[in-house]
Amino acid sequence: MFTGLYRILKLSFQDIGRNIWLSIVTITILILALFSINSLFTVQIISQNAIEAVKSKVDINLYLENNAEEAEILELKSQLEIMPEVKEVNYVSQQEALSSFREQNEKNPEIIQALRELGKNPLSPSLIILPENADNTDVLIANLKVYQSDIIESRDFNDNTVILEKINNITDNVNQVGMVIIAIFILTSLLVVYNSIRVAIYTHRREINIMRLVGASTNFIYMPFIVSALIYSLVSVIVIVALFYPFLTLLQPYLEVFFMGYNVDIVNYFTTHFWSIFGIEFLIVALINIMASLIAVKRYAKV
Amino acid sequence: MINISNVCKYYKPDVVALEDVSLDVKAGEMVSIVGQSGSGKTTLVKLLTGEEKADKGQLVVGEWDITNINRSQVPYLRRQIGVIFQDFKLLPKKTLAENVAFALQVCGQKPARIKKIVPSVLKIVGLEGKKDRYPHEVSGGEGQRVAIARALVHQPKILLADEPTGNLDSINANEIIDLLLKINNFGTTVVLVTHNREIVNRLKKRVITMDNGRVIADQAHGKYIIR
Repeated sequence: MFTGLYRILKLSFQDIGRNIWLSIVTITILILALFSINSLFTVQIISQNAIEAVKSKVDINLYLENNAEEAEILELKSQLEIMPEVKEVNYVSQQEALSSFREQNEKNPEIIQALRELGKNPLSPSLIILPENADNTDVLIANLKVYQSDIIESRDFNDNTVILEKINNITDNVNQVGMVIIAIFILTSLLVVYNSIRVAIYTHRREINIMRLVGASTNFIYMPFIVSALIYSLVSVIVIVALFYPFLTLLQPYLEVFFMGYNVDIVNYFTTHFWSIFGIEFLIVALINIMASLIAVKRYAKV
Repeated sequence: MINISNVCKYYKPDVVALEDVSLDVKAGEMVSIVGQSGSGKTTLVKLLTGEEKADKGQLVVGEWDITNINRSQVPYLRRQIGVIFQDFKLLPKKTLAENVAFALQVCGQKPARIKKIVPSVLKIVGLEGKKDRYPHEVSGGEGQRVAIARALVHQPKILLADEPTGNLDSINANEIIDLLLKINNFGTTVVLVTHNREIVNRLKKRVITMDNGRVIADQAHGKYIIR
């Protein structure tokens, strides 16, 4: 078995070696296809992070009357917490609001001075509401808009739905264009691999003829070409791993600046999902290449 | 050893390659099949090696009915029938020994067995001293000997020689025929397809003459009768 495998591998490397430039072109096309796929995947991860970042910034505040009783506020808080769309309700008292405001403006003496001159706490107590599911924020906002309570002074909904929609639209557009590019690359790869195997069969026609003559099995004749297709796949995936990590490393600082305050580590993402990304890519590329080479050998290396 | 009964082979649109061909070759026989170009000799070789299928009739090799042979069975048939051609079909970048070994390698033989068989078949064809030479370094006759050695590695019951002397001068051609006779004397059935009158007449063996896809003569100790 190992002898047969060794001989098939040897013939396969001969195929590649005898048509080295064609093999390089084939692998390059596969690398370009994989690069486009991985780039699209990166865009998706980034946009997913952007969406999460925007969603996490959803700010829903209910400002309450200054004279609202603590008991009334806590009662309202409990009622809001019962709502299925609500994950958590935080009560910020008048005093806490003032302290927080002072902290935020401690480097702004004019505001602090104005506050002092005012002589009283102008800030209202508030309830900060965190949605249970960021995707259902619009439902929560709609419910809160019609929620009736005497102690609610004003409602502040920082509605990010529009931004989310924009991000989703951009992502969808990028995906659509990306899918077209990927489809073109896959088709090109299929044709290039098919052609490479066809040329390999042509350069090996004498051997194939003799193999047939002396009774080599069909599998033995076909296998070197299938193995060549697998080698193309393996080399292209190895090269893309070698190329893509530096690319991601270059991209990472820009992402960190863009998503400041959020943990967006694209390199780490690819590392933790290494096998599910590159393993699946290898399987898909190998499948496409084997298909192309099978078509070529069935057509040109008839036994 | 070979039994061909009422075999017909047609090519589209209306070419008759073989028409109602019947012949029987016994084990250990040496038979010459002669005829002009287009007489159907090569088609017959193709049917016997499983390269083509007959449209009608029956072909039996040994006890194996190969009339409707599966594609997957063809390699096993070819290991039982050694074939040599006019153009030797050697690999130029392999030495003579490597050319012979190649036939065993591609059929999955173990290296130890290859090491044992190759020198012995090269000895049979008289090339044991030239095993490391390349095909371009030997004469045409020696090249054909290598092809014969390669055909013998599977110890075939039948050796089909399709115009084996077509590219050789008379001296080399006679040497090849002598070698085929020697192989036949070992017990291998030899089918020689040729249009070399001198060789056929010299052999004084059975001659089957074909013309227009038909067997027109079958002489036990025949001569070349086509003009």
